[in-house]
Amino acid sequence: MIGPSIVIKGTVSGDEDLLVHGRVEGSIDLGGQEVAVGQSGRVTADITAKVIKVDGEVTGDITGNEKVVISKSGNVRGNIVAPRVTLEDGAVFKGSIDMDPGDTGSAKVSLASQRSIEGPAEDLAGKPLEQKSG
Amino acid sequence: MIEMQSSQLLPSLFEYVDEDRRLTVLHLGPALPETVEFFSRYRSKLYFCDLFAELPLTLEEDDEVPLRERLTALLDLPTGMRFDLCLIWDLLNFLDAQWLAELQDILRSHLHPASMVHGFAAHNPRIRPADRLYAIRDDNQLAVRERPAPLPGYVAHGQGSLKKLLSQFEFGRTVLLPDKRLEFLLSVKR
Repeated sequence: MIGPSIVIKGTVSGDEDLLVHGRVEGSIDLGGQEVAVGQSGRVTADITAKVIKVDGEVTGDITGNEKVVISKSGNVRGNIVAPRVTLEDGAVFKGSIDMDPGDTGSAKVSLASQRSIEGPAEDLAGKPLEQKSG
Repeated sequence: MIEMQSSQLLPSLFEYVDEDRRLTVLHLGPALPETVEFFSRYRSKLYFCDLFAELPLTLEEDDEVPLRERLTALLDLPTGMRFDLCLIWDLLNFLDAQWLAELQDILRSHLHPASMVHGFAAHNPRIRPADRLYAIRDDNQLAVRERPAPLPGYVAHGQGSLKKLLSQFEFGRTVLLPDKRLEFLLSVKR
């Protein structure tokens, strides 16, 4: 655990789970472990781990080999890459989320190259609405 | 409190899909749990840019930074990125003609011919709909939250004006909702 008064500048790596209540500036690389950033934790670093849970603040890119969770008190600014990402109600996030659930039976989708969205306007009952321009 | 709202137009976004490609989504609004959960079913890349957090968006005469530059910095979109889907729920109600023109130019450069834009806007600009937050719950359902306070900078345009202002886009189907919102689909004009 990195306590509330601890400040680390540099690379944090190892083979144990990590709980951050203090500050880390640099990078955290615990590829096979779990990293939790507590409510008082302030991380300005890229994080790589198996599971990452953020209750505090993170500025940096997050790579979760299994899962990333941003809790209701969490605040993340950066890009997330993980098979699954959970955002709890109240969490603040700015950036991108890259998800690939893998071969779980879920549909994999992307838009086909051709489509048409042309069509008449409709009301909630599916009846055409009169359209006026101007 | 979270309410569910069905949508006739959302399913169109997912009708024609290519299983071999990653779905890229741009949401010009806040990241909410349901949206992330919904797209976590898919191989996808989501970009969240909450322009609502920057309201009111104004332009002062003595601003040294050009509007295009300001908006580009706010959006911070990756160079060369083309999005398959773009979600602009209520945002257009808060952009005046100048901001709309710049947003249109920037968006167009980040969309491709098959991209689709799904949005809500006021149907009648004189009747302000309640300020809400939207998220996708399912491919035909939205989760809706009331915003705690009205947002500043309401400058809604109405459907006719929007069509003129967004001249680089083709309006597809539109649906008038009971709360006087207009739900719409846009695509880039060819």
